[in-house]
Amino acid sequence: MSHVDDGALHAYLDGELTPVERAQLEAHIAECPACRTRLEEERALVARAGQLLSLAQPVERPAPPMHQLRRPRLAWRLRVPLTWAASVVLAVGLGYYLGGTNNASRQPGTLASRVTDSLTPVLGHANADRPAPLVAAREPRAANRVAMRRDERADSAAAKAAPETITLQSGVAQSEAQGALRPVTPTPVPSDAIITARPSADVASDRGRLVATQWPIIRPGPARELLGADPVGVPGLAVRNIRRSPAGDVVLVEQTLDSTTVIQVFQERVEERAIERRFAAPPAASQRQRLAETERLARFIGRLRVEIAGPLSADSLNRLLEQLKPIP
Amino acid sequence: MPEDLAEVYRSTYRSLVRFLYRKVWDAERAEDLAQEAFARALVHKPENARGWLFVVAANMARDEARKAARERRHLTLLKSEPDAVHSAPEDEIDAATRRDQVRVALDQLTPRDREALLLWDAGMSYDEIATQTGLARGAIGTTLARARRRLVEAYDTGSEGQHVARG
Repeated sequence: MSHVDDGALHAYLDGELTPVERAQLEAHIAECPACRTRLEEERALVARAGQLLSLAQPVERPAPPMHQLRRPRLAWRLRVPLTWAASVVLAVGLGYYLGGTNNASRQPGTLASRVTDSLTPVLGHANADRPAPLVAAREPRAANRVAMRRDERADSAAAKAAPETITLQSGVAQSEAQGALRPVTPTPVPSDAIITARPSADVASDRGRLVATQWPIIRPGPARELLGADPVGVPGLAVRNIRRSPAGDVVLVEQTLDSTTVIQVFQERVEERAIERRFAAPPAASQRQRLAETERLARFIGRLRVEIAGPLSADSLNRLLEQLKPIP
Repeated sequence: MPEDLAEVYRSTYRSLVRFLYRKVWDAERAEDLAQEAFARALVHKPENARGWLFVVAANMARDEARKAARERRHLTLLKSEPDAVHSAPEDEIDAATRRDQVRVALDQLTPRDREALLLWDAGMSYDEIATQTGLARGAIGTTLARARRRLVEAYDTGSEGQHVARG
């Protein structure tokens, strides 16, 4: 047998030779001092490489229970963009107008399609009625994360946003000009996109815009009738349109932030018993619905369930959400 | 959930985190990505879950790296890097330095060599690495031999350079 090559030596050391190959190699090594030396050199190399890799090791933490993985989370996608958005706001001081539109405009407000399932609790921190333990029960991992991060965020403005516990919906509102130019044909979302929100973002935005642009415009009176209360909006912003969903159960207030930015405030009437029931037993939702839940910013105002959407950062949307008041 | 996936989760989670860590170089993010990969596996129920997970994880890490590069560009415009090193204890600095040197050394491998090495270190067999990388099974030993040698050489060269620079 000729000398053994490096590959065979490494395969041998890695225990990856077949029994026959191993026997042949060992037979050769036994009578070839040169290859014996090389074997020891390679053994040292393998050990050294392994040792170097072990220097580049994360601190090991126990794996979370697997059942907690069932709800795909977006926290990791939101964290950095939100931090970034927040720092933009702080550093540049332009208030609400700036921030990760890219991130915030990810998921559609396909409210029309999910209205019947949309009562699942997606309240933000702003709603004092939401019992804290429930947060933990429904979003155990997210809750853990929040607990872990509480210190670092406690004193920051971003702390209020608590993006991991709030679910976001956004990005529906685009400038009218853009909306008008873009085709609004809904594209089927590939199954893979269900949990990979980024690739579906454009599709999603289109669907959201579709909803927004096709809903019939109504006057304030009928809106009030539909909701059983005054519709809510951001005080001080001009109301552009009030629309209603085709099914007539959701009212959409569109407000202009500036000439190219439209904020959408979706609102629907919710029976209190229904709220409690949903809290007590979240319905088994499909993957897609769960994604939608995790991408919405919503709260209850009185007996209205309100969602806000717009091409702003989640932080900004969340602050606008807190300001919502009945509009005359 | 399928029983076997639970088993894979138990046996593979940490390897996957380690594998991802050496791509994104952020422990928390590596965990997040690993969990996301498993969450996807729960939906897709792939036949060869282990292999599938590493493919998905590698893809996510790549997307992640691109995104991180973009965000870094933004961030550097906004603020200067925090000078954390000075407040860290001595041994932490050393650990961080060594880790960075390994990182730099790994960067000097060809993508294929690096991938094979990281997969091996994540506990994959030659067969699995061959499937994953498209290399012939017979070439894995040679690939790993080359990867290990380059890693060690690059690391040693890097450390020397550091000493010279410091001295």
